[in-house]
Amino acid sequence: MTLVHNWHLGRTMEYPYFESRPEHQFAAVFNINRCIACQTCTMAHKSTWTYSKGQEYMWWNNVETKPYGGYPQHWDHKILQLLWDNGNNPMEWYTSAKDKDETKAPYGLYNGDTIFELARTKGLNQVAVGYIPDDKEWRFPNIYEDTAASEKTNYETGPAAESSELPEHKRWFFYLQRICNHCTYPACLAACPRKAIYKRKEDGIVLIDQKRCRGYRKCVEQCPYKKSMYRGETRMSEKCIACYPRVEGKDPVTKGRRMEARCMAACVGKIRLNGLLTGDYRKPDPKNPMDWLIHIHKVALPLYPQFGTEPNIYYIPPRWAPRSYLRQMFGPGVDEALDKYASPSRTLLAVLQLFRTTQTMLSRFEIEDGEKIFESEVMGKKVEVYNDTVIGFASDGTEMVRVKVEEPTWESDEKRMITY
Amino acid sequence: MMKCLLRKSVFFGSTLVALVFLCSGVTFSQGLDKEVSMEENIPTSEGLTVKYIATDLNGADRALGQADPYKLELQIQDLAFPNGGGSVQEVEVRGFHNGETIFFGIKWNDASKNDRAIAHAQFKDAVGLMFPLETVKEISPEKPFSPRMGDRGKPVNIWHWKADWEKELNVDGGKEHMEDEYPNMFTDFDFNPDPIHFHKETYESVPLMAGGISAGSLLSQANRGRSVEDLNAVGFGTLTSQEHQDVNGKGSWSNGKWDVVIYRPLETSDENDVKFVPGMSTFFNMAVWNGIEGDRNGQKSVSIRWRPLKIETVK
Repeated sequence: MTLVHNWHLGRTMEYPYFESRPEHQFAAVFNINRCIACQTCTMAHKSTWTYSKGQEYMWWNNVETKPYGGYPQHWDHKILQLLWDNGNNPMEWYTSAKDKDETKAPYGLYNGDTIFELARTKGLNQVAVGYIPDDKEWRFPNIYEDTAASEKTNYETGPAAESSELPEHKRWFFYLQRICNHCTYPACLAACPRKAIYKRKEDGIVLIDQKRCRGYRKCVEQCPYKKSMYRGETRMSEKCIACYPRVEGKDPVTKGRRMEARCMAACVGKIRLNGLLTGDYRKPDPKNPMDWLIHIHKVALPLYPQFGTEPNIYYIPPRWAPRSYLRQMFGPGVDEALDKYASPSRTLLAVLQLFRTTQTMLSRFEIEDGEKIFESEVMGKKVEVYNDTVIGFASDGTEMVRVKVEEPTWESDEKRMITY
Repeated sequence: MMKCLLRKSVFFGSTLVALVFLCSGVTFSQGLDKEVSMEENIPTSEGLTVKYIATDLNGADRALGQADPYKLELQIQDLAFPNGGGSVQEVEVRGFHNGETIFFGIKWNDASKNDRAIAHAQFKDAVGLMFPLETVKEISPEKPFSPRMGDRGKPVNIWHWKADWEKELNVDGGKEHMEDEYPNMFTDFDFNPDPIHFHKETYESVPLMAGGISAGSLLSQANRGRSVEDLNAVGFGTLTSQEHQDVNGKGSWSNGKWDVVIYRPLETSDENDVKFVPGMSTFFNMAVWNGIEGDRNGQKSVSIRWRPLKIETVK
């Protein structure tokens, strides 16, 4: 084991390999607030990569209803329970000002064991704590769809309107969009006893070498997000490949420029923005939309950072869900992120417009100021909306998209209305 | 001047401390594998003698009956991470050759027959024979040869018999498929006279959409024509299937016992294959995987110490 820095945890942690960050890191921001669980992303993935025999149960992209849903069923409950270790590992965070650091520990300091450290502490026969889900658990990818959680029964909570008031709804659910996190410290990679899994230096995409894989299912066992899957037909494991031919710019549509993954580009709810993070987390580029959302504005948060794999899919948490649940899921950065999202800054409003406007990966954005169009108060905070223009550029500097904060509308003239 | 000197000394001092820390092995060593013990490099005194018996494959069972059995005690593999195995305590091996082909007859107790690895938590039974690739006259603490699947510059040749490959030798199409494990995978209530017709694309897309098949992995292929994989390794995690497969085998399970015969020509044209010459002696090692216990890779029952292997001259 070596010591590596995990900025999600704000500390160094144990990992079997040396810290070796890619030059760029494949990443995405999912705005949970916007998702309607139409599963278009899921089908885009399915029809591209896993429509063949032995892959029927595989959903490299899935959208599940939290808190009850999960694919494989109860994946997060089970991992959290393993990590909880009968209370010996309470997974606490220190979040005082002195435990935080702008770049190295933006959320504070995690004081618990990660999946790697707990496996070591307990002397387990694996690199990371984990389990292999059985057939039943893989069977229902969308179980408990739209099932709300409530401390009380419908009768007790009274009218629905009363139990659903911000900031926290008493009866709630939200959708969680999940793909492989292409972690900086992948547990699947660490678990593979024959180094069949590798992380690409150029874009941080984690892949299983189908020539080296021998179907030991160590990755299936130890990936905490359960995104390595065994294919009985070929006797080896497969996982999300981040549509790497598109990321490399091999698709003719974007003329050689990097292109968003299929599940990202298919999102009709405009919840997803896919791009590359700057490899060095200590030097984020304030003009890169991914870096800005994640490192600088900190409005998008990692999924279960306490696992310790430094996942690279980031989420804007849902505004209405109980904070304690969200803190468990996205770490202690939740309150700050929600504050920023509920009363968005001028820049955030502009950057949010970039979501799903182009298939080309944007590596830079510029904002042109516009006039003030709206003013309001949200949760006691003043919100001002300016009709700024945001411009997105591809990595080669080409302008790919130019949108305004206020969606342009057009009214047909009266004559036209009469004709019809 | 003094300030500069002080700054320099602090800088070099801290670098020195950092170097000491780095070299202490805290950060360099993976720390999960056991150190090599003296015992690992001391072969047992008794070993297996491969008799000369002039018969072919048809007479192999009878010939193996005539050969002297050699029993190897197996133990949990706890040298390399991930550890495991140990559920099979003993394996019995016999050997003979007919001047052209060498045969090994292997028997071990296994209450459960696991000859499929299609479902998520389904693992197969298997047995492995390991030989130093080049002729090794002596293994001792002075002249070590790692029993941990060889070492850099000291490759081994591994013959790996797999229960699922054995089964697939005798099934239609030379391979078991998803639908063999999950007969109702497409429809729970099969009113359809030709269910495959409606899933034609699913079936036809397999060669295109299966990484394992397009990568040419033997594990994914149909009609392998053999139940033993011919492999090389230079240490744990380096196991690699050979381009040229030369080893054959047959196996059967009855009454809680596997009975496997593995055979290969004494000499092959492949330079990655161990060469056997009548009259020579070398060493071998064995491992058994018990599928029901989740054995795979390093989770296996192993013999650890090298065993001498003598090959009788042709009479």
